[in-house]
Amino acid sequence: MTSLASWTRPNRIRDLLVESVARVPARVQTKLLAAFLTIVGLLIVLGAVGLSVLSGINDRTDELIKLQRKIAAYRQVQHDTTSQLYGISTALLSPDDRMLDAALRQLNQFGYDLDRLEFVAKDEAELLGRVRREYKGFIDVVTNVVDLIRSGNAAEARKKQIEKAGPLADRLERLTNQLVNIAEADMVGAIDATEGAYRKSQFIVIGFVLGSILLALGLGYVISWSLIEPVTEIGAGLRQIAAGDFTQRVRIVNRDELSTLAADLNRTSEELGRLYQQLEAASRHKSEFLANTSHELRTPLNAILGYTELIQDNIYGEVPEKIREILDRVQSNGRHLLGLINDVLDLSKIEAGQLTLSIADYSIKEVVQTVVASTESLAAEKKLLLKADVAEDLPSGEGDERRITQALLNLVGNAIKFTETGEIAVHAAAVNGAFEVAVTDTGPGIAAADQQRIFEEFQQVDSSSTRRKGGTGLGLSISKRIIEMHGGRIWVESELGRGSVFRFTLPLRPGIGRASA
Amino acid sequence: MSKRILVVEDQEDNRRIVRDLLTSAGYELLEAATGEEGVRLAESHRPDLILMDIQMPVLDGYEATRRIKGTDGLRQIPIIVVTSYALSGDDAKARAAGADAYVAKPFSPRELLAKIRQFLP
Repeated sequence: MTSLASWTRPNRIRDLLVESVARVPARVQTKLLAAFLTIVGLLIVLGAVGLSVLSGINDRTDELIKLQRKIAAYRQVQHDTTSQLYGISTALLSPDDRMLDAALRQLNQFGYDLDRLEFVAKDEAELLGRVRREYKGFIDVVTNVVDLIRSGNAAEARKKQIEKAGPLADRLERLTNQLVNIAEADMVGAIDATEGAYRKSQFIVIGFVLGSILLALGLGYVISWSLIEPVTEIGAGLRQIAAGDFTQRVRIVNRDELSTLAADLNRTSEELGRLYQQLEAASRHKSEFLANTSHELRTPLNAILGYTELIQDNIYGEVPEKIREILDRVQSNGRHLLGLINDVLDLSKIEAGQLTLSIADYSIKEVVQTVVASTESLAAEKKLLLKADVAEDLPSGEGDERRITQALLNLVGNAIKFTETGEIAVHAAAVNGAFEVAVTDTGPGIAAADQQRIFEEFQQVDSSSTRRKGGTGLGLSISKRIIEMHGGRIWVESELGRGSVFRFTLPLRPGIGRASA
Repeated sequence: MSKRILVVEDQEDNRRIVRDLLTSAGYELLEAATGEEGVRLAESHRPDLILMDIQMPVLDGYEATRRIKGTDGLRQIPIIVVTSYALSGDDAKARAAGADAYVAKPFSPRELLAKIRQFLP
């Protein structure tokens, strides 16, 4: 991990390099191609350097071979000189024509050897010149000695040989020795030079290889980061859009396909932001419209209900029994209409997320008592038994008491509405940090297939019952929203013909974040 | 002498209902159709109770209540505020403005009468 950390740690030089590559106004393809071509170029240069090093080594080897040959030639000359000098000396001691001819022939042979030296030892021209001069002197002396022997002057010949030929031969031997020594010294020098050159070549090649590797890695690194960084930026931008933040703009220095992509992303974000604002405005307008409409609808309705009640209370004079019955119907229909309007307003507020809970401490016992108190007259009208069973010593909860009361009121109201005989029981207890409230009735029950549907808007098991039983079909839906806003859950347990149990849970301390779900 | 109640309400029908209800119950009625008029009548007639609608153009019921409750000599007159939106936290706002009681629309005339009788037995 540490190497990775240092790999990604920001570094000024690296940033500058990456940025400058990113700023190059070329397509990604072109940049990659340029990098690959650079690396290929490096390989070609590396090959050329290798070849030149190899050919240098080859030259050195040729040099060594030449020196070898030279040494061989020198040794031959040295050998010849020694052997000839002895041969001639021996020949001169026996005055035999055949031997003398042989000695002279050997002298000529020595001359050929010298000629051959001319080719291999161009550098030692001065030394060779001296050899040639000595050789010439030697030939003259030997020819002179031979002539003296042939003319029978053996004593003179011997004297000349000892006085002149001997020292000349010694000098020749020394000279040839010198040649061999020089050549051998050259050889040692050449071997040293070759080794030196080899080492130098090694450094050059290794240096080149290392340089190429570093350059290739550097290029790869800089180009990859010049691509990775904008991609990361664009990714972050996309995540922000996904999270619903349309205000951020991706800023990258690239001038290639990625800059086009970033620009497109920014445009998309802008457009989405604009659409989102429009949607928000539309949703707000819808809610405002609904709220205003509800108010406008309720104002005349309130007047109708108010007058109706005044008439019922004989404010405007005694009301005949027949009209009173009709007035009751006017009032009950008016109240139903008002309930509908209120439910639609509530639901539209919840939908628009505008319904905020007023969270405070409440007593679930008081909630149950309030609900029972306001529904027992309804139950009594239908001769139903309404029972409340609240566990002792329940803790206080945190929530919007009025909304929770509204939710429970809907459940108990429904139970009374749909039950013809028997009883309604409200039960409240605290289980695992949450209240659990159950409303049990002895009504017709709800088939399994309908048990989910009834929590949706305007859904009752039998749509004809909406009219028959009254109610808006929104009550359960509103109750569900209210309970879920408190972090709770509502469900129904029922079987056809066996009554229903509506249960909901309410956490004692609802999460703050769920308050405006 | 019968008690005088000032009704501040911009809706003609609502004024009429309150008027019919309260006169039949033996109260004397003062009527104002705007917040400004309500404040003026409160100052000039010193009613025994004020019934204040919230939703009124220009000077709404909260502001009118604040003005009356901020005036020496009027402060002690009980004000019952009538709001349209029962569920939007208007009761807290009404109390903050200085109202003594709160009735949510739709109010039944019977309930309203009961509430008034708490202040004017």
